[in-house]
Order: sequence, then C-alpha cells, then structure tokens
Amino acid sequence: MSAFANEPILELRRAAARAGLTDALARLDATLPLRVPVLVGGGEGTAEGIDSTDPGRPDRLVARAGVASAADVVDAVDRATRAQPAWARRTPDERTGALRRAANLLRAERHTLAALQVRECGKPWAEADADVCEAIDHIEYAVHQALALAAGKELLQLPGEKNQLHYRPRGVVAAIGPWNFPLAIPAGLVATGLATGNAVLLKPAEQAPASGHRLVQALRRGGVPDDIIQLLPGYGETGAALVAHPGVHIIAFTGSEPVGLAIIRAASETPDGQRHVKRVVAEMGGKNAIIVDSDADLDQVVPDVLRSAFAFAGQKCSAAARVLVHEAVADTLLDRLRGAVESLRVGQAEDFSIDVPPVIEQEAQQRVMDAIATGAREGRIGAQQADIPDVGWFCPPTIVAGLPPDASVSRDEIFGPVLTLEAVASVDAALDVVNASRYALTGGIFTRNPRVIDKVIERSPVGNLYINRAITGAIVARQPFGGNRRSGIGAKVGGPDYVLQFVDPQVITENTMRHGLVVE
Amino acid sequence: MLNWMQGLEAAIHEIGRSLSAAYPPAIRHPARTVDQRLMQMVAERPDVQAALFRFVDATPACRTPEELTEHLTALLEEVEDPPAMFKAPEALGRGRVGEKLVGSVAAAGVRHLAQRFIVGESPKAASGHLQKLWRDGAGTSLDLLGEATVTQDEADHYAARCTDAIDVLSTAVRKWPERPVLERDFAGQIPRANVSVKISALTPLIRPSAPELGADDAARRLVPLLRRARDAGTPLHIDMESVDTLETTMHLVLDLLADPEFHDGPSTGVVMQAYLRESPAIVDRVLSWARAHPRAVPLTVRLVKGAYWDHEVAEARQRGWEPPVFTEKADSDRNFEALTRRLIDARPGIRLAVASHNLRSVSHAVAYNRLTGGGDSDIEIQVLQGLGDDLKDALAAHKIRTRVYCPVGDLVMGMAYLVRRLLENTASTSFLSAHGRGVPIEQLLAAP
Repeated sequence: MSAFANEPILELRRAAARAGLTDALARLDATLPLRVPVLVGGGEGTAEGIDSTDPGRPDRLVARAGVASAADVVDAVDRATRAQPAWARRTPDERTGALRRAANLLRAERHTLAALQVRECGKPWAEADADVCEAIDHIEYAVHQALALAAGKELLQLPGEKNQLHYRPRGVVAAIGPWNFPLAIPAGLVATGLATGNAVLLKPAEQAPASGHRLVQALRRGGVPDDIIQLLPGYGETGAALVAHPGVHIIAFTGSEPVGLAIIRAASETPDGQRHVKRVVAEMGGKNAIIVDSDADLDQVVPDVLRSAFAFAGQKCSAAARVLVHEAVADTLLDRLRGAVESLRVGQAEDFSIDVPPVIEQEAQQRVMDAIATGAREGRIGAQQADIPDVGWFCPPTIVAGLPPDASVSRDEIFGPVLTLEAVASVDAALDVVNASRYALTGGIFTRNPRVIDKVIERSPVGNLYINRAITGAIVARQPFGGNRRSGIGAKVGGPDYVLQFVDPQVITENTMRHGLVVE
Repeated sequence: MLNWMQGLEAAIHEIGRSLSAAYPPAIRHPARTVDQRLMQMVAERPDVQAALFRFVDATPACRTPEELTEHLTALLEEVEDPPAMFKAPEALGRGRVGEKLVGSVAAAGVRHLAQRFIVGESPKAASGHLQKLWRDGAGTSLDLLGEATVTQDEADHYAARCTDAIDVLSTAVRKWPERPVLERDFAGQIPRANVSVKISALTPLIRPSAPELGADDAARRLVPLLRRARDAGTPLHIDMESVDTLETTMHLVLDLLADPEFHDGPSTGVVMQAYLRESPAIVDRVLSWARAHPRAVPLTVRLVKGAYWDHEVAEARQRGWEPPVFTEKADSDRNFEALTRRLIDARPGIRLAVASHNLRSVSHAVAYNRLTGGGDSDIEIQVLQGLGDDLKDALAAHKIRTRVYCPVGDLVMGMAYLVRRLLENTASTSFLSAHGRGVPIEQLLAAP
C-alpha cells in the first residue's frame, strides 16, 4: 500500500495555471445549463424541479436538476439493499480499485470541476481548486484507511483460543452533503462508505447538484456499480425521506445545526421491521473564535483573521466569526483591521483579484444583512467594505464591535462575511467566552508565549485548534476535521478514526483445543 | 577555453586569498567577535536557536521587563539542558526584583543585536553612520524597515518615509568628501547613497494570483517616488521579496520604467535572486527589456542569492509544489556565478551590483570582471550592515567599489528583518558561519 499524499493545489501565482482555469470556465460556460437527473439504478430519472443559478449573476442558470420523489427514495434504497452484499463480498482491492480510478477521473478534469464551483457556488478559484483537491484526497484517503482496516486489529491471544477482530460494512448509507464544499464533503462521506463495502445514496445540496452529479459519474465510470452509488437530488423532503427510511443504516450529514438536530431525532426512531439502530455522523454549525493575546504579531494576525473570516464570504463551517482580543491591543488591532477590511475587494468569484465573493442565495444575503443591521443597532460597525456589486448576492464584509456580552450576533451562526470583535481582559477571559458557547468547531490563538499556548490547548473545547495561523483550510490526513459539543457528532473526517463510523466490528473467538491438544 | 577557465579559477583564488588576508583582526572589533561566538554556539544548538529567535521575535510586543522575563523563561523552559549562560535568567527570573532585572538585561541584549544590523531609527538619525561608512570607503543603500502593510494608510505612510529618505540623503551626501573610487564607473557618475523600496510595503493589495492588482495600486505611490528620486538625484532600488510578489514586482517595475517620462532618470535598480530555479529566465527577460528600452543611465541589477529560502521551501512542501528555489546550496552558488558572468557580459546595457558575503562568489565576480576587461569600479559589491562588515573593510582596502545595505527603523519594525538575518548568520551552510568556524581559506574558495 503506497503512502497517502495530498493532491497538490494549483500554483495560482503562475499565469499559466490561471489561464488553465479561465479556459476551463469558458468551455464550461458553453455547456450551461447542465442537466442533473435523478440516478436510481441504471436509469435516468427526471431532471426538472431544481434550478441552480450563479450567485454572482442570478440570471445565469448553471444546472437544472431533478427532484427525487418519495418513490425514487424507496426504489433507490431497495436496489442498494439488494446489491450491497455482493459489493461487500468483493475484495477490498477490487472496491478500492474502483475508487482510485474515480479519483483519477476527477484529477483529469480538475479545472472543469473548479470552474463548476465558481459558477454553481460563487466559490473563488483558489478555494474551488482546493475543494477539488480535497475531494481527490478524501477518496484516496478512504482507500488507504479501508485497506488498513481490512487487515483487522490485533487482540490478545492465549493458548487454545484464537481471537479475531474485523470490520464489516453496515449496509446502506444516506450521504447528505452541503453546498459550500460541493465536491469535497460529499466525496468524503461517499468514498468512506463505499470503500468499506456499503452502498451509498447521495443527496447533494439543492444549491450545488451538478458537483454531486460529477462525483457520482466519476465513481460509476471508475467501476462502482449503479445500484451501489445513486444520486438523489432534491430539497429537504428528499433528505427527510431518506433519513426516515428503515433500510438506511448510516446517515452521514454535513450542514446546519437545525437540520442536523432534526436528522438525529428522526434517525433515533426504530419502527417495527427495522432491525438496526441508525447511526448518524453529523457535522453542524460553528461560531468560531480567534483569541489574540497582547503579545501577538499583528502583522500576522490581520491577514490571517481576514482570511479566516471573509474568504468565500465566511461560508465555511470553520470560518472565524469572533475575535476576542486582549484589551491592551484591541484598539490597534481594530484600526488595522478597519483599514484592511476597507481594502478588501468584493466581486465575482471568477475574478482572480477578489477577496470576497457573493453569498450563496438571496435568503442568505437577507440573513447576513439582517445580522449586520442588528449588530449596528446593538453595537457599532467597526469596519466595513461597502463597495459591492449591485447585482448578485453580495454582502459587505463587516466587523461589528461594541456588542453587549450575550448579543445574538456574537452567539448565533450567521454563515456570512460578518465578524464580531470583543475586547477581553485576558486570555482566560477569552477562554471563558469560548467555553460559554454551545458550538466547538474551530478556534485560534495568536500569542508568542508557549505557556499561553499550553493553557489555551487545555481549556479549548473546540475540535480543531489553530495556533498562530488562519483557522480554516483543514487538509485531509494533516488536520482531521470535525467539531465537538453541538458542532458535530462522530469522528473527524480526513482522519484515522473516520472510517470506523461506517463499519460494525465483529469479534470471532474459536476454541482450538481438540482432545486436550492445542491445534492451531 | 579550458585555459581560460583555469585562468579564472587562479584569479579567483588569488583575489580571495588577498581579500581574506585583509579581513580586520578580531582584536579590532571585540564586540563583533563576542557576537560571532554567541552565534556559533547558537548554530550548534537548534533548540536554543529556536528559543532565542522566538524571544527576539516577541521582544517588541512586550511592554514591561516583567513581560520580557515571562517570555524568556517560558521559551527557555522548552530547552532541555540549556547552556550555562541561559540557566541564570531562569533562576533569577523567579523573584520580583529578578524579573525586572532579567527582562531589562534581555531587552538590552536584543537592542544590542538590533543595533548591529539596524543603523538608526530614521534616515536623519542614520546619516552620521552613513557618512562614516563613506569615509571608510563604502557607499550606502538605505532600506526602510516596516511592519507589514495591510492598509492604504500604512502604504501611504511607507511612501512618505521613502520620500523623506530621498530628501535626507540628497542633502546629506553633498557634505561628504570626494571618493573617486566609489563615484564613477563605465556609465558615468554614481550617486553616493540610494534608497531601496519594497513593493509589498507600497500597497495592501498584493495578491499572488492577481499581480496586476498590487502592481497598479503600488504604482500610484511608486510614480511620485520615482519623480522625487529623479529630481533629487538619488537612485531608487526595488527590492525583491518572496516568489508571491515576484510577478507583481517585475510587472510594475518594467512597466513603469518603460515610460518615456523616466528615460532620463532616476537611476534605478532591480534585484535578481540566484536561488530561484527560474532566475536565468528572469535575467533573460530583464536583459531583453533593457535592450528594448535603452535608458540615459543603465538599469542596475543587484544580484543576490535570496533571503526567503526557508519560507519558499516550507510553503512549497506544504502545498505539494516543487520548491521554486534550488534545494542544494551549491546549485545556488553555481547559478550565482553563471548569472554574474551573464550580467557582466551585458555591460554597458546593465550595471551590476553583486550582493554576497561569500568570499568565493565575490572573488569570482571581481576576477571575471577583470578578465573581461572591466575596471574594479565597473561592478559594485554589496554587503549587509552587520553581516558584511569585515568583507567591506577588506574590499575598501583593495579599492573595490562597495555599498552597504543599511536598514533603518525602530525595533518593532526591524524584528522580522533581524530574525531573518540571525537565521542566515547561524545557518550551518552559510559562508559566514563556515568562515567563523575557521574552515580553511582554500576550502572556502573552492568552486561550488
């Protein structure tokens, strides 16, 4: 088994690399709108019902996708249930071979896939390219982990008995993906399920069905049978039907906290005839804070805070939403952040020079604007770049300061380019604030004192803590990713424990004594 | 050809030995020697090196001696079995009086280090030192250290400091005595002092994937500086930073200088980094640009090895890229010599400044220049304040034209620079470190 290595991101500081992407975008544009049918078994279902548009130019139709009906969901689960045992009986090498080929197919069309995210999600080039690389990483990492798991694990052996621990697929996985990492996150959910011998039904987000479609196409072309990977585009009803279906064993979900909690509740039902308890793997919300100590290097803090808060318009679960800064440097930091925010460029994702793209949809724009208005009312606008395009779901990147302690703006997830800044008396006080949150996904500390770092590690509840760097951009196998508290349940994706979510352990103990002799 | 190459090698060794013999004896600069010993001790203990660099880095952010002590002791805690001289602060730092004392001593230590590399808080404050360097036989280039530019105001402030430096220098140099060796080359008059500017400080809009954005914004500030420099007769040199700013810088400088407005001046320079694998192509680009855009005073190229090696390699490895720099030091050194020869051959279209502390690299430039018919004044050797002091003295004794790159700024502004210089000085592969360890001269002068 070869060692896992991350797929290199494009070197976008080179003109040739940028030209490759721009050309791919032009070619993609000529094919829009894309058609995304429901894919149940070998058939092609409807491709009507969802219109996915460009967030930067809402009159551009990017994809027209079908909506999987309740009957489609039942049909898909039946097919998956029937086909899965044969898939599980294939050797790990056969299964993972199909996944490796799928990863190579994605690699071969990485420019187009990045271009698709630019159009479908308004995701800037660097982020879109990184997402495609992460998708490839997730597939190859799943291969790696599944092969390692297939070898089983060591148990204590004593004379006269033979003990084995191995892992078996659970059955049918419902993978419900988000739009913000439209290829990478579905790839992680799907590939881990498939590599371990499960059948997977993917419901992509209605805002980004085309990326999910490309993933399923690549997996099928790579050799995953039609009944083992199926595509069920749709709205919340489709997802709810999947979650409720008694034939589903695992629900792998990444999305908002309310939907995640609803899934967890629904999945706990055990109707008559369902012979198992469903398992939920959920990544949910966050309200991530960066702590800035008085000895921090502000030259480093300013760009890293901006990147954490405003890249992709703050639409990452890992994005920074709060800065908790030591009062000794709070004014200086806010001054510098203000000037830096006013230098941010808000514009179309396809423009290599922009910092902040549009948000995903009109509803999101409204939510962000409401939060800014609330922030201005309860506190004050500390910094804002108000120069934004008229058309498209753009929002002004904003820092809100001077909020009262328990303001909703600093407590609830906004999922947009809004950052709150709060002065604190000490790092301990900042940690108290962090610990009062119901979320615990990512967090950051800027300090040059190793004792402070130790303290922050000890007191931070977050799943991913970043020291003296931006708090976004987790990379497979280097920063396994996932939150604690109400930010998520289940093991970290892209890490060594994740694969265990998709299997059931089985222990076999054999008596090897025959007529008083140990026969082994 | 072979004979000719042997002739070059022989000349390099002869010049190198002669320069080496002219290095000032340690007795003349006891403080330099003490610093050098410290550096060597640090170079042998990576964990101590890490703790000290991190302490130096944190110094400007500490507001009281107690905070300094807190950082120093916390960082030293991470060192297993610290050398004896570092045990005292830990023990002392426990009491309240001790805390203050250790912090003050440590601050003084960092200030002392900084003063070796940074010549003053402002151009005005530095002008006495610059004059002394001139009297001792070296011109100067003033570099304004600064915090990172993240706002438009900060970019404006940096441009204002550059303007001030141009003005201060243009007045100050008039009072300096004549030094014929330093003031003329094949192309004519050479101004006594110049100003180095960094593009990343002239705009908050450096975006590696959109070089024209930063270039356009920096141009708003660079154009008035070029005019000011031209009118004051003070040359302006554009520094080169990491690869992330390479395209922005090249785009900006070559575009602006192509403007007929700047045909007659100011005298301007760019930097080529020999550690870049792509540097031969960059030199091609500059040379063909220079042929297409003849200027009243030829463009100066400052050839350096490059100061961002660790950054470039770490960044590339983290992102899965082939490092843009040579990973073998000998490859950089060989390329430096190849580019030296190409740039000397480009005379009279180009003025060359060879910036290195490596005696071999410098001797090679001097030897090749002589062999191809140049006078010693037709190339310039550049050294860094604080690192190249001995070499500068030796060059001055040989009447080889030398310029000292002099950083100016306060301690906060200077810290990133200082840490880079310290790293460079203590890297085990560096020439200075080898020289300090007493590696024999023939070995130091061997072809890379």
